[in-house]
Order: sequence, then C-alpha cells, then structure tokens
Amino acid sequence: MSIYAFSIILAFSFLVLVLELVRRQKLREQYSLLWILFSVVLVIVSLNVSFIEWIADRFGVKYAPAILFLFGLLFCFMIILHLTIVVTKLTAQVLRLTQELTILKERDSLHGQND
Amino acid sequence: MKILIIIPAYNEEGSISSVIADIRQHVPDADILVVNDGSRDRTEQLAEAAGARVLTLPYNVGIGGGMQTGYIYAQRMEYDIAIQMDADGQHPAKELPKLIAKVGAYDLVIGSRYAETTSYRSSRMRRLGMLFFSGLVTLVTGQRFTDTTSGFRAAGRKAIDLYARYYPIDYPEVESIVYLKRSGCRIAEVSTEMHRRKAGRSSITPWKSVYYMVKVTLAVLMSAMRYSRSAVSRP
Repeated sequence: MSIYAFSIILAFSFLVLVLELVRRQKLREQYSLLWILFSVVLVIVSLNVSFIEWIADRFGVKYAPAILFLFGLLFCFMIILHLTIVVTKLTAQVLRLTQELTILKERDSLHGQND
Repeated sequence: MKILIIIPAYNEEGSISSVIADIRQHVPDADILVVNDGSRDRTEQLAEAAGARVLTLPYNVGIGGGMQTGYIYAQRMEYDIAIQMDADGQHPAKELPKLIAKVGAYDLVIGSRYAETTSYRSSRMRRLGMLFFSGLVTLVTGQRFTDTTSGFRAAGRKAIDLYARYYPIDYPEVESIVYLKRSGCRIAEVSTEMHRRKAGRSSITPWKSVYYMVKVTLAVLMSAMRYSRSAVSRP
C-alpha cells in the first residue's frame, strides 16, 4: 500500500471517528467543530498532494512537508489555547457553585433551628 | 448598622478562638463569620464553640475564593459593613472602631502598618516588595497607598457588591484595591497597629514570592486596562 492510499484512509477514518464521537455524545458539537475542520483539511491534503506543493511554492518553502508540520503545529496550539480558555471558564463556574452551595448549606441549618 | 466580620481560615486552630474572643470583647455588636476553607484541623469546631457563624467550604478554594464567599454572604444578608480580618491574630480587634468610623465617607477603609510609624517591623526583602507594590498601585490609580498588601479592611455596601461580583482568586489584596479604585470607589487608609502572627507560618516561600511578584504585577496592569477611568463616573 502506498503512503498516499494510507494517508487517505487515515484522514477518512479520523473524520469518521470525530463524527462517531459526536453521535455517541462523547464529544460536544461545540468542541467538535475545530476537529471536523481539521479532518476535512486532512482529507483534502491527502487527496491532492500538489495542493501542499503549491502552497510551499507560494511561500518560497523548499521542503514542502514543512508546510504540513507548520500548520499541524499551529492547529495544536489553537486547540490547546481553546482548552485552557474552557478550563478557565469551568474553574470560575465551579468556584461560584461551591460558594453558593456553602452559603445555602448554612442558611439551611439556620432554618432547621427555627422550625 | 449591620456589621459582619469575615475571617477566612485554613487550618488555624491555634489562633481562631482568641481572635474571635478579641473581636467579641471590642466590637460586641458585630456578627462574626468564619469562612473555613476546607481546613483539616479543628478550626470549624473551635470557631463555632467561640460563638462565630461558620461557612465550611467542601474543599480548599484559596484565600480569594474564600474571601469572596464572605462578601457574597454579606451581600445576601444585606450587611452595611463587611470587615475582613486574618485568622492568625495579626489584626488587633481594638483597632476595628477606627476602620468602622470611616466607612460611609469611604467605600473601603484599609488598615495600614505604614501610614504612620507603628511598632510593626518586617524583613528588608518584604519591605522592598511592599514598596514596589505601593509604587505600582499609586501609579495606576493616582492615589497614594502605603500598605497595599494589608488584609485588614472594612468595606461599605458599594464595595461589598463589587467584591461579590468579582474578587481575585489568589494573592488578592493588591489587585482588589485597583479594581475598586478603577470602579469609582473612594478608598482611605488608616494607621493601625499590627501584631506578629500568633500561630502558623506565612504562606510565602522564596519561590512563591517570585510567582507572587509576577502574578500580582500582571493582574494589576490588566486590571488597570480593564476598568478604564472613563467608566468611573457612571453609576
């Protein structure tokens, strides 16, 4: 099996995997969009190798696969940044919930004494 | 005037009882709320036995998160003044009337170790750090502050509302001044005596102090850009 056929199969299975995760609700639609975009690009690139060479040529890059690594890396950074934004939001929400719960608990015990 | 004294406490069984007793002796009308930040010792039982209300957080949320819990509580229960005090006995309750007297004319009153010469002494590095933060806050707010890291403060209703809405999570003292000032609050410092801590140790180690400096400086600069002066005049 040539590397071309291999990468096409790999890209397609990745797209199917992401869609399957969404279908099984293991991955939220909201967070799946970046991954779907990524796998679609992967499919396009593996179907059409000259596309990468064309971009490399336009940027004046002599070693065409370097373009792949560059964009792959940039995509990883984007996903990680996105994740830390989500974590920040979740941390704030968990803290607020904890605070509300703690205050409710104390009020509850006060009411218990009055009854 | 409903007054609430908020004492955030994390493993402070060595000093919490005497701190509460000190407050009850000097300010008998005030309600005392201990925010027990997931302590693993007898802080909760001792504080309750000493006659304080206790909010126990299910896990340790850090000083800022605990402090804010107290402010949210003060807002819900409609207190006119919320005072924050350390659980380690640094802040003498006999100084509380000085702070309370100025709330009303000011939205936040800070007890300062350095506003006038008090008997408080600290290490050279510590003083240098404090000097740096005083300079930074003065630069950003246009008001002179001598003790930006003091945790001895009294807040009026406007400050209580603002703190219930937002409060920095860790090392909150310096940034919380800038946040209020930039939100249009009037802030005053009064000179107060402070003791050396009765029990426990400072949480600041050499490595943490580097993180402290960098984090707080970044937070102050960000805060200064977030709450612009133009927003100050709006109600």
